[in-house]
Parts: sequence; structure tokens; C-alpha cells
Amino acid sequence: MLKIEHLRKDYKSFSLDCTMEVKQGRVTGLVGQNGAGKSTTFKAALGLIRPDGGNIRILGRDISDFTAKERQKLGVVLSDSGFSGYLTVADTVPVLNSLYEEFDKAFFLEQIRKAGLPDNKKIKEFSTGMKAKLKVITAISHNARLLILDEPTSGLDVVARDELLDLLREFMEKDEDRSILISSHISGDLETLCDDVYMIHEGKIVLHEDTDVLLSDYAVLKMDERQYDTLDKQYILRCRKESFGYSCLTNQKRYYLENYPKLAIIKGTIDEVITMMIRGAAL
Amino acid sequence: MKGLLIKDIRLMKNMKNSMLLIVVIAVGMGAYIKDASFIITYLALIGATFTTSTMSYDEFDNGYAFLLSLPVTRKGYVLEKYTFGLLLSGGGWLLGSVIAAVAGVVRNTSPLSDSLMMSMVMLPFALLLLSVLFPIHMKFGGEKGRIIMIIAMGLFFAAIVLGVKLAESMHIDLDAALEKLPAMKTEAVAVSAIVIGVVILLLSCRISIGIMNKKEF
Repeated sequence: MLKIEHLRKDYKSFSLDCTMEVKQGRVTGLVGQNGAGKSTTFKAALGLIRPDGGNIRILGRDISDFTAKERQKLGVVLSDSGFSGYLTVADTVPVLNSLYEEFDKAFFLEQIRKAGLPDNKKIKEFSTGMKAKLKVITAISHNARLLILDEPTSGLDVVARDELLDLLREFMEKDEDRSILISSHISGDLETLCDDVYMIHEGKIVLHEDTDVLLSDYAVLKMDERQYDTLDKQYILRCRKESFGYSCLTNQKRYYLENYPKLAIIKGTIDEVITMMIRGAAL
Repeated sequence: MKGLLIKDIRLMKNMKNSMLLIVVIAVGMGAYIKDASFIITYLALIGATFTTSTMSYDEFDNGYAFLLSLPVTRKGYVLEKYTFGLLLSGGGWLLGSVIAAVAGVVRNTSPLSDSLMMSMVMLPFALLLLSVLFPIHMKFGGEKGRIIMIIAMGLFFAAIVLGVKLAESMHIDLDAALEKLPAMKTEAVAVSAIVIGVVILLLSCRISIGIMNKKEF
């Protein structure tokens, strides 16, 4: 659905080199800190910025040959951009209706009603949560094959986030060929939604793993210095010195559970893993 | 194209009060001022600036990024703006012409044929205006674009003044040269001016597409 190979983009103080893939029928997450390169990757994938190198293929076609008609198969949410704030929801309906051949007006209006969004209020007067809901509803209302969602849940409270994630789950359930690429810096969102996760740090992909594997096989081991010295480190990905001794990230939780029953082993979460991947040192 | 046009028409709703006020002013001018040609250029100019206002709305809050992630190409966006500009500015020109013609007949200041001729002469100016305004706005955006537009206007008039002074110093009689113009068929002059205006507009559109293609959002 989307294949990015060695996408390069150089800025003065930042350079991106990203390789990743979103497969058919999968929800792929991209996590990373603010400024890690998530939005740059998204914008390049959408042809909004020109890459300095690499290939981007989207729905089987090079991004530079991607036509307006083919764009109808994409649903896009950008964190820092949307419909003009001077329009109302009612204004956007005929616009979307003529832009997308498969725009499902009834579905769109139903979702707007369910989300409690006012029809005739200017979008600029909407709260952050209302704007975010409108963006996602807009993206899922025209039978897209691929959703590209940059921080769709940013600035939302827990309940609103949950509602948005439900919308995305329903979107995936309707057609098993659909795919989603979603970024977030709230990794809890991604744990429940994504099939696989890429972690990006300082413009580079530092980890790619299936979410199931990440949650079942990754763990953070906490130990004092004596335990650290005797630890078999062949499955340790990152280490970090702590006040009590060491924290180590492993992708073979079972091995350490069985062989070092005295270690404190904390189940891996995306947050734990990303913190260790970024702040820990490779051995 | 259609979707973007609808969006721009919906955006215009935000400006409906000022539009109404401008029409009232234009009608008022028709009733009082002598030179009705001003009304035509005034309304055509307003039409063009309203179109650039819709570009400012698009630009606001980084809206371009979202617009261009919709099924819209950069070229399609530019073509839509020129179409919308032609509709609005052309509409302004038409309305101005009607007001000027009606005022001329009612106040008995200018016969209908003269008014029609005048509006024909004004049409290439309206096209020229769009041709200059749009690429500048697309290149520099709303804020900077305004400053650059003012400078461009200033340079334009400075060039005219300089040209006249130069002609004077070289003892060329501009008045006599202008006197000869009516000897040519006025219709032919008007038609060729409009053709030149259209060519410049097409060229300007091409330049704007180039500008949009280079932009990053």
C-alpha cells in the first residue's frame, strides 16, 4: 500500500533517512518524539515536500506520478492543517461530494451527528477535540483504501481518543484490504490499534516490530550492578545506568524469566521500549 | 476543480457584507462621478482581490497542506484560482460596465456606444491585473505579497512617468502620437488589446503553476 525506501530529506539541523512499509490490511504505527521526523515522513509520502533522495510508492505508484483521481483512494489527517477555519461543516459537504466520487454523504452526516459537531458553526470556533473528530470523519467517509493519519489524537482527552480509535477500528472492519498508517506520540493509542510499529528517532527508524511481539517478548530488566555483571547480555538491545543499578531492554523476555528468576522484569510497553531505545546505549 | 470552486464560493460568504457595501459604493459613484470608467476598473480590481483573499484563507493555518492532500493537483489548484479570478473579476467588470452604461444614459453624460467601447478598453486592464496579482500572491503569500504588489505598482507608474519625461527630453510629441491612434480602427485596437491581455494571462497562469510546483508545505 505504501512503501518508503531510503527517503532522504535534509534540513539545516535535521536529516531524515526513513525506510518503512505499510502492508495491505494492516495498521502500521509510527512513533517517535516531537521533531523525530514523523511529519516530514508523512508530508513526503503525500508529495507535499520534495524528498532529497529515495523512493516512495503509494498504492503501487510512484508518488510523483500519483494523480488527483488516485488521491481519492487516500484519507488524510494532518496534525497542523485542515479545512479553512472560515468554513462550516455544512460548507464542506458539497466540497467533499464533488471531490470524491465515493463520498458517502449519509455516513458523513451520521458521524457528524454522533460526534455532536455543529453544522453551521465556523470550524475555527471548534475545540481541539471537535476539529480532530471532523478531520478523522472526513478521512473515512469516501471509501479510502489507505488512511494516512498524522497525530490524529493529539490534544484529545482519554474519552475523545477512545472514540476516535473506535472510528478507525470500524473503518478497518468494513473491508479487510484497507490499511492505515498512523503516527502518535501517545503510544498507548497505538498498542491497541496497530499490527506493527516503527520507531523513529532523529530521522532514523530505530525499531520495527509487530505489536504482539513487542508486547509479549520485549521487557525491561531492572537489576543492581552485581546482577548486571553476571547477566548474559546476548539478547540485550539497550542498557541504561540508573541510580539503583541498570535497566536493560530485551526482546527475549522468556529467556531472562527462566534463567534469572530474581530479576525484576517489567513487561514491555511501547513507551518503555521507546524510552530505552532512545535513552539507552547499545552494547 | 468543481470542489475547489464550491469551497471558494462558500468562503466568499465571509465577505458578503463587504461585497454588498462595494456594490452600493459603485452605484453611488455612478450617480455622481464624471469618469465612469473608474467604476469598471474599481469593481474588476475588487473581484481580483477577493480571489486573492480566498488564497489567503487557503494559506491560513497551513491550510495548503490539507488542500493538496485532497484529490487536487497543484496545477488543478492554480487553474481553479484563475477560473475563479476570471469569474469574479469578469463579474466585477460586467457589473461595472452595466452601472457605467446605465449612469451614462440616465445622466445623459455618455451615449451607450461610448460606454460599451470604454468597457471593452477596460477589459485588458482587468486581465493584466489578474496576471500580475496572482503569481505575486502565490509566490510571496498574503503579507509579503501585498508589500511587493505596492512596490510593483510604484515601479509601474514610475516607469510611465520616466517614459514620458524621456520622450519630452527627446522632443517626441506624445500627444500627437496619441492623436494618430483614433485613425486606426478603435475596434481593432480594443480587440488586439484583449487578445494581448489573454496571452499575458495564460503566460501568468503558466508561471503560477511553476511557482506552486516548487513550493513545499
